[in-house]
Amino acid sequence: MRGLSTNGLSMQLRRLLTLGVTLALVMSCGIAAQSPSLEPTAAPTEGPTSEPTAQPTQGPTGEPTEEPTQGPTDAPTPPPSPAGQLDFANWPLYIDIDEDTGGYPTLEQFESDAGIDVNYVEAINDNEEFFGRILPDLAAGRSTGWDIIVMTDWMIERLIRLGYLQELDHSMLSNFQSNAEEFFADAWYDPGNRYSLPWQSGIVGIGYNPTLTGREITSFDDLLDPEFAGRVGMFSEMRDTMSLALLSIGVVPEEATIEDVEAAQAKLLEAAERGQFRAFYGNDYYDALAVGDVALTMAWSGDVSQMKLYDNPDVEFVVPEDGGMLFVDSMAIPKNAEHPVDAHMMMDYWYDLEAATTLTEYIGYFSPVDGVRDLILQHSEEARAEGDTEWADQLLVIADTSYPSEDQLENVYIYKILSEQEERIWNDLFNEVFSG
Amino acid sequence: MARRFRWLIPYLFLLPGGLWLLIFFVVPMLVMASVSLQEGTIGTGYQLTWNFAVYPQVIDDWSPQFVRSVIYALIVTLATLLIGFPIAYTIAFRGGRFKNILLLLVILPFFTAFIIRTLAWKLILADSGFVLGTAKDLGLLSPGFHVLATPLAVVSGLTYNFLPFMVLPVYVALEKIDPHLVEAATDLYASRTQAFLRVTLPLAMPGVFAGSLLVFIPAVGDFINAAILGSRDTTMIGNIIQRLFLNTNAYPEASALGFVLMAAVLVLVAIYARVVGARGLTTG
Repeated sequence: MRGLSTNGLSMQLRRLLTLGVTLALVMSCGIAAQSPSLEPTAAPTEGPTSEPTAQPTQGPTGEPTEEPTQGPTDAPTPPPSPAGQLDFANWPLYIDIDEDTGGYPTLEQFESDAGIDVNYVEAINDNEEFFGRILPDLAAGRSTGWDIIVMTDWMIERLIRLGYLQELDHSMLSNFQSNAEEFFADAWYDPGNRYSLPWQSGIVGIGYNPTLTGREITSFDDLLDPEFAGRVGMFSEMRDTMSLALLSIGVVPEEATIEDVEAAQAKLLEAAERGQFRAFYGNDYYDALAVGDVALTMAWSGDVSQMKLYDNPDVEFVVPEDGGMLFVDSMAIPKNAEHPVDAHMMMDYWYDLEAATTLTEYIGYFSPVDGVRDLILQHSEEARAEGDTEWADQLLVIADTSYPSEDQLENVYIYKILSEQEERIWNDLFNEVFSG
Repeated sequence: MARRFRWLIPYLFLLPGGLWLLIFFVVPMLVMASVSLQEGTIGTGYQLTWNFAVYPQVIDDWSPQFVRSVIYALIVTLATLLIGFPIAYTIAFRGGRFKNILLLLVILPFFTAFIIRTLAWKLILADSGFVLGTAKDLGLLSPGFHVLATPLAVVSGLTYNFLPFMVLPVYVALEKIDPHLVEAATDLYASRTQAFLRVTLPLAMPGVFAGSLLVFIPAVGDFINAAILGSRDTTMIGNIIQRLFLNTNAYPEASALGFVLMAAVLVLVAIYARVVGARGLTTG
């Protein structure tokens, strides 16, 4: 067929070539999709004495860390030296802030004590959203750019199951061993705390402004009351919203069947379709409630405590009478983190009594550290002695919320651990509610 | 150079652009097509099963959001045209010494990031902000009135964000019009309106066409305005794709939706090009 064109290659040959290249590209995509990069790494099988670092960390001084000892002996190894740097991703409003300077006093204290530069970023607004962002790196075996992330308990369970967290070296976590509150010391979602340490805990309930609602709010059904149409906020976090909805139809989330979930979803969908909800929020519900865009909304307990103190003294928090959800947000180290030693030091710092107390005094959530309440009461007395009665009273309120009360503990539930199929069904049902 | 290799030269010139297109467009498209036909989960991995059924499934699931996005984008295109054409006309024909400054003012918002501009609108339209709050204090509006979380807010935000994309192409087209043509028309007993409709407007059509495309195509896939300024009822297809991809981790469905969106936009643009007339694009 050479006579068909004036160029070196014949038309037919060029067509064949184009077709071949295209097919090769499509096939290669198919092969790439079946590669092991998207499959989970095997569950970690490291022995109890192995160091968490898989690669030597080079600090700015250029000192290499010790090689990890692999072996059954318990001979103490010299602690690896920190790299001097740390990337810490957390939720908003989850650390103490100096209103005047905008700095974080507890972090700055740690930075000067340990000589580690901490890059603290409030990068997390939603568990699944953040997971979606770091998943490609984790699946490919790369560093996510974070050394510590704070995720809610059920997400920690998922990350452990997929093998995306580094096992912790508890020999470097002496504060945790000695100071952790008993209730939080052995996590249901991470037995033995092998991969995570509790950061703070709280309750998913309802936050509302009595001056805007005109009455007291007591149950989840109040959120669906047509009286408040268009002024109600819900969470975009599927598990929070669905779990509270399940409780409102009398189902304990841990025992929920698919039929129960469909019933709860029907209830939410009916309300959503008549315009009951202003929006489905992440952490940004805080601003909406503070300025009054919503009169009542699903809320996290500590946020409302903070709002009362700093942004809007009218708001109240209530655990729905059908039940609220107890969540434990935990610190964890993603696989292939670049500065694991520094991460361990930071994580242990938060179990130092002083640091934990300062943190809880500001953010108002439940502290997993023993003795925090007593120290807050002591600070309250000191403040009163100095004449600062306003702060002393506020500290009394905070001391009350530094640990869940008996009543609260009786009326809160934990999240159901979902298999991937269940999660998919729950998500599909919730997406219908979430988007009109 | 040897005669034999002469034919190679044009292809060599095309090589940089072609490579760029290949790496950043063709390959991602193929990967996305492949992902859309896969099935699986994060835990078990994804397998290419040539699952074409995903396409009717996503169209069925999300057609209300599709239609809504197209309608919003059409409204936005019309709005930017109605607002942007007079702006471009004024700058082109009445700008005089101030043409450059005026053009700079049109582009100035782009110096800040898209999200920041949208957040600024959230502040401006806030229920008790300085616009609505003042009106409410003066008794002009009821206390429960709100603009945020309505389609109006989303469409307004989109219009504001994409206005320069309409103004600039229309300005370029108008700028090229010889004013003597309008003068000639009025000499031939055309009124000013007739001169506008029969001389200026047809000559501006290439700019209008380009501007419409530059506004419609990004607007239909936008998700930021709906997320920040909207509510559940204003969810656009971009929000759905984002949620499926990031939250639900339903990569095949999200990729399939992306392709359906692309196909829909291509069809609409083809129809539009037909209506405007291919000749309208190439008048110089």
